[in-house]
Parts: sequence; C-alpha cells; structure tokens
Amino acid sequence: MTIMMPAADQAVLARRDTIVAALRAIVPGEGVISSAAEMLPYESDGLMAYRQPPMVVVLPDTTEQVSKVLRYCFDNGIKVVPRGSGTSLSGGALPLADAVLLGLGKFKRIREIDFDNRAVVTEPGVTNLALSQAVAHAGFYYAPDPSSQIACSIGGNVAENSGGVHCLKYGMTTNNLLGCEIVLMSGEIIKVGGKAAEPSGYDLMGIITGSEGLLGVITEVTVRILQKPETARALMIGFAEVEEAGKCVADIIGAGIIPGGMEMMDKPAIHAAEAFVHAGYPLDVEALLIIELDGPGVEVDELITRVEAIALGCGSTTCQISTSESERLLFWSGRKAAFPAVGRISPDYLCMDGTIPRAALPLVLRRMKEMSAKYGLGVANVFHAGDGNLHPLILYDANKPGELQRAEDFGADILRLCVEVGGVLTGEHGVGIEKRDLMPEMFSEIDLNQQQRLKCAFDAQGLLNPGKVFPTLHRCAELGRVHVHGGKLAFPELPRF
Amino acid sequence: MDILKVRDALDVEAAVRAAIASEQPLEIVGHGSKRMVGQPVATNAVLDLSALNAITAYEPSELILTVQAGAPVADVLSLIDSKNQQFSFEPMNTSRLLGTPDIGTIGGMIAAGLAGPRRIQAGGARDHLLGAHAVSGFGDSFKAGGKVVKNVTGYDLCKLLAGSWGTLAVMTEVTLKVMPHAESERTLLLRGLDDIKANKAMTAALGSPFDVSGAAHLPGSALRTTQGPLGEIAAADESVTLLRLEGITVSAKHRATSLATVLSAYGAAEIVEDGASAALWADIRDVVPFAADGPRALWPVWRIVCPPASGGALGQGLAKGSQGEVIYDWGGGLIWAALPPSADAQAAQLRKLVNAAGGHATLVRAPEAVRRGVDVFHPQAPGLAALGERVRNSFDPRNILNRGRMSRGPIA
Ligand SMILES: Cc1cc2nc3c(=O)[nH]c(=O)nc-3n(C[C@H](O)[C@H](O)[C@H](O)COP(=O)(O)OP(=O)(O)OC[C@H]3O[C@@H](n4cnc5c(N)ncnc54)[C@H](O)[C@@H]3O)c2cc1C
Repeated sequence: MTIMMPAADQAVLARRDTIVAALRAIVPGEGVISSAAEMLPYESDGLMAYRQPPMVVVLPDTTEQVSKVLRYCFDNGIKVVPRGSGTSLSGGALPLADAVLLGLGKFKRIREIDFDNRAVVTEPGVTNLALSQAVAHAGFYYAPDPSSQIACSIGGNVAENSGGVHCLKYGMTTNNLLGCEIVLMSGEIIKVGGKAAEPSGYDLMGIITGSEGLLGVITEVTVRILQKPETARALMIGFAEVEEAGKCVADIIGAGIIPGGMEMMDKPAIHAAEAFVHAGYPLDVEALLIIELDGPGVEVDELITRVEAIALGCGSTTCQISTSESERLLFWSGRKAAFPAVGRISPDYLCMDGTIPRAALPLVLRRMKEMSAKYGLGVANVFHAGDGNLHPLILYDANKPGELQRAEDFGADILRLCVEVGGVLTGEHGVGIEKRDLMPEMFSEIDLNQQQRLKCAFDAQGLLNPGKVFPTLHRCAELGRVHVHGGKLAFPELPRF
Repeated sequence: MDILKVRDALDVEAAVRAAIASEQPLEIVGHGSKRMVGQPVATNAVLDLSALNAITAYEPSELILTVQAGAPVADVLSLIDSKNQQFSFEPMNTSRLLGTPDIGTIGGMIAAGLAGPRRIQAGGARDHLLGAHAVSGFGDSFKAGGKVVKNVTGYDLCKLLAGSWGTLAVMTEVTLKVMPHAESERTLLLRGLDDIKANKAMTAALGSPFDVSGAAHLPGSALRTTQGPLGEIAAADESVTLLRLEGITVSAKHRATSLATVLSAYGAAEIVEDGASAALWADIRDVVPFAADGPRALWPVWRIVCPPASGGALGQGLAKGSQGEVIYDWGGGLIWAALPPSADAQAAQLRKLVNAAGGHATLVRAPEAVRRGVDVFHPQAPGLAALGERVRNSFDPRNILNRGRMSRGPIA
C-alpha cells in the first residue's frame, strides 16, 4: 500500500465486542457481520489493489436503523464508511480498520414510480440498470448509464456523481436528480428536494451529489426519468492519426451536433477489444470513433449523413454505419468491454479518469506515450471524446515487485498532465483514496479549506468516511476561525462614489 | 451609503476583510437589476462588481465560456450568439417583470439562477455553471469546479453558488457551459383548454418521446391585457397552451406533426415556426403577462415551483382563492402568480396550498414594506433550514455578504 490511511483508534478497537453488541441491538439477525470470513467480500471496492478488513459490517434495511446506527457511532466517536455495491474505482468505499462499514445493499425497493411527474422514488441499493428496467415497459429510462450499471447502486451513483457514455447529451447523475433523503452523522434525517424541478433554498442536493459518502448516508433518491428516443444508430469511424479524430470530434460539435454518445479508442485499446469481442474493428487505424445519434428516424438519418461528411473532411479512412439494432450493439460491444478486454492482455491494470479540454488530446496522448516508455508500462486509452474525459488503462503486474508503485506513479503523472493542460483530476470516478494526495495539484490550501468547512456543516466530528478525498484533515474549530485583518479604517484604497 | 467599485478579485478580498474588521455587512451588486428581490438587506455599504467585466476566454468548440462576474449579460449573449451558441437554460430577463432598465450581469444571472422554459429539458443555471472564482465571507479567494464539462473533483461548490443570491460568496469569475442554438423550432398552439386539461396535455407531451423543450399554459384572463406577441396570438378570452420542439429542421417538423397527433384529443393544434415561435417563448420566459408596465403592475408576483402534474390544480385553486392570475411554465412545474395587493401578499394562504402540493414559493415582486413582513423565500422544515444555515455559515460566518437577504430568521 502506498496510500496511507488515518491511524486506527486503538481505544475504539478495544471496545469492538461492545460495539458489535450495540449494533446487533439496532439491526437484528444477519444484519451485523463480524466474523473475518464473512467480512471478506467487503474488504475492497473496485480499486482492488487496496484491501482492508473493516471492524464490523452492518447492513440495515430501514432509514430508522441507519439513523440509530449513525447516532450510536456519533455518540461513541466511531467512524463509519458507507458502501453501495462496492464498484468504486477510486477506493471511496475502502473500509477502515476501526470503522463500521455501513452497507446499503438491503435498500432494494423502488418506492414509487410516477410517470406523470417523470420521477422515480427509490431506495439507494437498487442498481442503476434495475431502475431503467422498472420503467422500460412505459418507454422510459434513467439516462446516466455507467458501464458498471448491472452492479452499481443508485446511492453509489449519487455519491460519486457517476457518468456514462450518454452524459454528453443527457448529463451526469447530478443533472438527473430531483431529491433525496439523507441521514447525517448525528442520526438526523433530512429530506432535500422532491418531485419539483428545483429545491427551495440552497441547492443541497447538488452538494450531496458527488460527496463520496463524506456528508451523509443517502437512504432515498428521487430521479428524473426520460422517454427513450425513437431510434438510435451508430457510426464507427477510423482515422490514421489521432489528431484527425480529435478534429472530427471538434467539428461535429462545432456544427451544432450533440451526439447521444461519442467515444474514442486508441490503437492498443482497439486491438485488445477486437481480440476479445470480435466487433469488426479496423486494426490498421490509430484512432476509432464510435458516434451514436438518437432521436426520431428522420433526424438520425440526416445527422448520420452530416457526421459522415464531417469525418470524411477530417480524413477518415474507414466508416461503417449501423443498419440494425444488432449492428449498433456490436459496434458498442468492444467499447463496453474495453476494461475486461484489457484485463485479458495484462495481469492487472489501473483505470485512470482525468478530463482535459478536447483540443489538448493530441498533446496529452503524445506525452502519455513518452511516459509509457519512461515507466516501462503499457497504456491503452478509451476516451469519452465528446466531453474530454480520458480513461487511460495502465497495464502492470502486481506480482512483479515495484510494478504497482510504478503504475501509480505513471497514473499520477497523467493526472498532473491533465491539470497542467487545463483539465481536472477526475471526470466521473471520484477522488476517493486514489487521487486524494493529488488534490493540491488542482486546489490551493484555501480552496481545500473551503471544501472542508462545508464538510463541517454536515459532520463536524469528521466521523463519516474519513481519509477519503482530502489529503489533510483539519479540525472544524480551526477552519471556522475568521482572521480579522489590519486597522480600523473601513474599505481602504478602493475607489468610492 | 458607501459604494465600493472593485477592480479585481484582490479588491474584493480587501473589501470583505475590511468589512469583517469593521463588522459592516456588504450588499453585493452587479448592475443592481434584482436588488428588489429578496428580504431587504441591512447595510449601508455596496460592493459593486460591474467593473469586473472582461471576457476571459471563449472556446466555442469546447462549449466553454469564462467571464468575469460583472460582464453585462447582453454583451455576453451577443458574443455567444455570434457563434450560434446560447445558454441553454434560457436565463430569465427580469427587467419587464420588475420594471428596471434592461441591465444585468452574468454574476447576478447565476446568483439568481432563474431558468426559463427550457429548464425542463436542459436544466437550470446550476447545471451550466462549471467553475467559479469567488471570495468567501472569510475574505479569501477560492476556486470551485473547473473549466471542463465533466468534473467530479471535490465537492461541487458551484451548485451552491448558483441560486445563492450572493449570500455565500462574491463570484468574481465564472466558467459556463454554452450550447449550440437549435436549427429550427416549432410551437404547437392549443386553444381553449382549462388549466386542468392543459396540465394533462402538457404531461402527455412531456411523457412522449418527442423531446419537448417548452410547455406553457396561459389562461385567457391572464392574456387579456397582454401586449406584444403573446397578446397577438390570444383570441377573445381564450387560453393558449404552447408546446415547443427544437432541433434540425426535418426533426422539428416531424416531431411537431407527431405530437399534434398524440394530442389530437385536446383539439387541433396550430403550428408557429422559428422567429415567431422564439418571440412567444421569450415573453413567457420573462413573464410579460405580469409586466411592471401592465395593468397588474401593483400586484405582488410569486414564483412557485411544484411537481409538474399537480400544477394545474394548484394554480387553479390559487387563482380562485386569491382573485389573482396565474400562468404556467415547465409543464405545470412552474407557476407565476400575480395576486391582488395585500399587506402580506397573501403569503399565508398561498403557502398553505403550495405546501400541500409539495412545492415552494418565492415572492419575486413586492414593495419593500411587504417584503419586510413576509418570508420572501420559502420557509423550510427545521432540520433542513438549520443545515442550510450551517452551510451558509461555512462560507460566511460573520454574515457579511447580503446579510439577511434569503432569510428573515434571527441573525447570530
Ligand atoms: C467495470 C466498471 C466500470 C465502471 N464504469 C463507470 C462509468 O462508466 N462511469 C462512472 O461514472 N463510473 C464507472 N465505474 C465506477 C463505479 O461503478 C461508480 O462510481 C458507481 O457509482 C459506484 O456505485 P457503488 O454502488 O458501487 O458504490 P460504492 O463503490 O459502494 O461506493 C462509492 C462511494 O459512494 C459512497 N456511497 C455508496 N453508497 C452510499 C450511500 N447510500 N450514501 C452515502 N454514500 C454512499 C461510498 O462511501 C463510496 O465513497 C465503473 C466501475 C467498474 C468496476
């Protein structure tokens, strides 16, 4: 392990038996798991290089129980790590040795489907895909579609503000929520928003979304649902140069076209995916674009013609257009299976997640190639091209001494590069523990202090998911101190009228 | 009254620090176009952002615009319009409703967060604010968000700044997402529906796959005295229901025809095209039926946000009970209500109905004396209100910025 977690509180560990008994009194039966063997599945999330057995796992199934568990932990100074399905790629749900792991897996009920208000009220443990399936019979769906959608929970999606291939046109999780219920560390239950388009007062829904389990435990979510577009078709376009593919993306957007999805893969990713799923990807190109257009048939047909012409103008060497639903899915199959495909060609891989201004793509890919040579590790790139979100997959072998460290250093260099060219550390996977220590690359101490003050408004003791997102922890009293500067003269040196 | 005209973010820091030292709250102002919205602010010092008006960067192909907060909205709109782009949340121009000159800054536009008809499809101001530089009530400049469309690094502070009415921090620069203008638009007009039927028609339209980007209903009585494009489409005392479709021409046309078929039970739809359609929606966005130069100039105006499918019943009940007028946007999810003048702008009765419908109401236009006596922003459940206050406190513990603008509660 190269990332340090906060030191375990020995006094808490010494009280483990008492704590387990107290939790059992709140959540009866199988809802409290304390044997080492049974806690094994909870030791890590999707960032599998890191593992840590929790002190105890608790799986409540009512908001009331969540509230009581949190209140008990609050009163006794015990840390809590919330967990949905455990697919986080940034270690957000990594347990702590002295913390209660609070799993929301039993919150599996969809509470209300309201087609007239285009809203679904659901418990947080429902998977992203199940949500869409529950409304599919009426032609509706929930738009954000992370590739992990068969497994990840809607509560986890809210906590991470997850994206997906369709978020260029339909937005991230934050753009598709109406309300939620959260339980604060103190046990207090708060309802934010509802079925109205926007909440009253400050946009607390907006701040809870993407808060990575640090502000409160989400026990109910109200999402917005949309009608499925009439049709969708995809183009698969190859380019001999990455620059040309990048220009094609910019020209499409410049022409006022916002495709439903616009994905790019580089040569190593194309080869890995093709070998895995045989989607018919061209192997002699440097970059492949998969562009999906959705809407009424007449619109899709017209836009396909326009996009094809733009691609030709940018020097495309191959262009296939799907003529059936099965062909559209075939085009996507390689992209959707890119992670496991890379998993086949390398014993281990790290999935990075920076965002860059699109125009910087050729430069970033060039520099990444140089880094790949420097670190002696391969890299394959899949890219949400429309919104500049890069997923470099760094190939390594954890069994070779030093390779994990090298892979992490390589990854950190890539993220620094993203920030250097005007981008950000993470586009959709979250900071978690993985990018925690890189936060100062993007934010000053003042910026981070302001974020941590907000944390104090929700959890002044810092008991909820500590050690994630922020590289250094400050006490709330210290953060809240106002420095009174200088002399008595009000408003010196400013022009007055 | 001191008016402090700042030249850069450092000036803003200096002003806030001096304000902290002298325990003197500041009123934060761009052009001052919305000063009459909110609880009256208790201060005699104004921080004027209008000289911070540069366009920092505009990258049409990245769909990104960075401007200083004091930049005039009108200038920025004409700049992005020249590249065929827009703010797709259709920010409201409040000048007609509030009776001010046609002024306003980008900072004020975001701080007010008043999105127009397209909110149902494209989201609100909060969905288009990607990044900001701002000075907190600690007197420190901080950065929120970034300059790319997809970003989950740290807490999403931008969401809080949008719609915070200057009570959390003084924005000095903002980065916004811009989107291409649609090639064409079509508006379906249905005539003579009552509020309940119109709400049903809009619900059907928004539940269709035709990607409706505007759904409004104007009762005949509200339209009767309306001037301009909306007045011109109104026929003797008849309501109109409008549904907008935007996109490439073949698509907008196709969807207009298809939607008309779906809605045939509600009557035969007329179709209005492009420029004429845009003019209608601009006046709906700006609430022209209740304009300050119209017959209801002296009536207080409420902005009510509620679950869209219950809007018709809520609006109808409100109008009846208060002898007032209502118009509907967002498929029923946004109701503008103009009520005959009274000491409390009929707040108690109105909020009772609005609460029962799961909505909330803001008193957007009323004389200062009325605003002093009522909660302009909707009172929240105690736990939520306390959390909101702790959040405000985390940005501005000394209550320096727009003190008391959003809440009448006791000030610590
Ligand atoms: C193969 C694969 C593909 C992926 N593809 C994508 C993708 O395309 N786009 C994308 O954005 N992400 C993707 N991810 C990442 C991951 O699936 C998402 O971040 C997802 O939203 C996590 O959901 P989860 O339920 O697994 O949450 P967990 O991993 O259990 O938790 C994630 C974080 O949320 C917190 N949390 C979880 N539930 C709650 C709750 N109810 N209340 C409060 N906090 C909570 C946890 O403490 C943790 O910090 C992928 C992951 C994998 C393994």
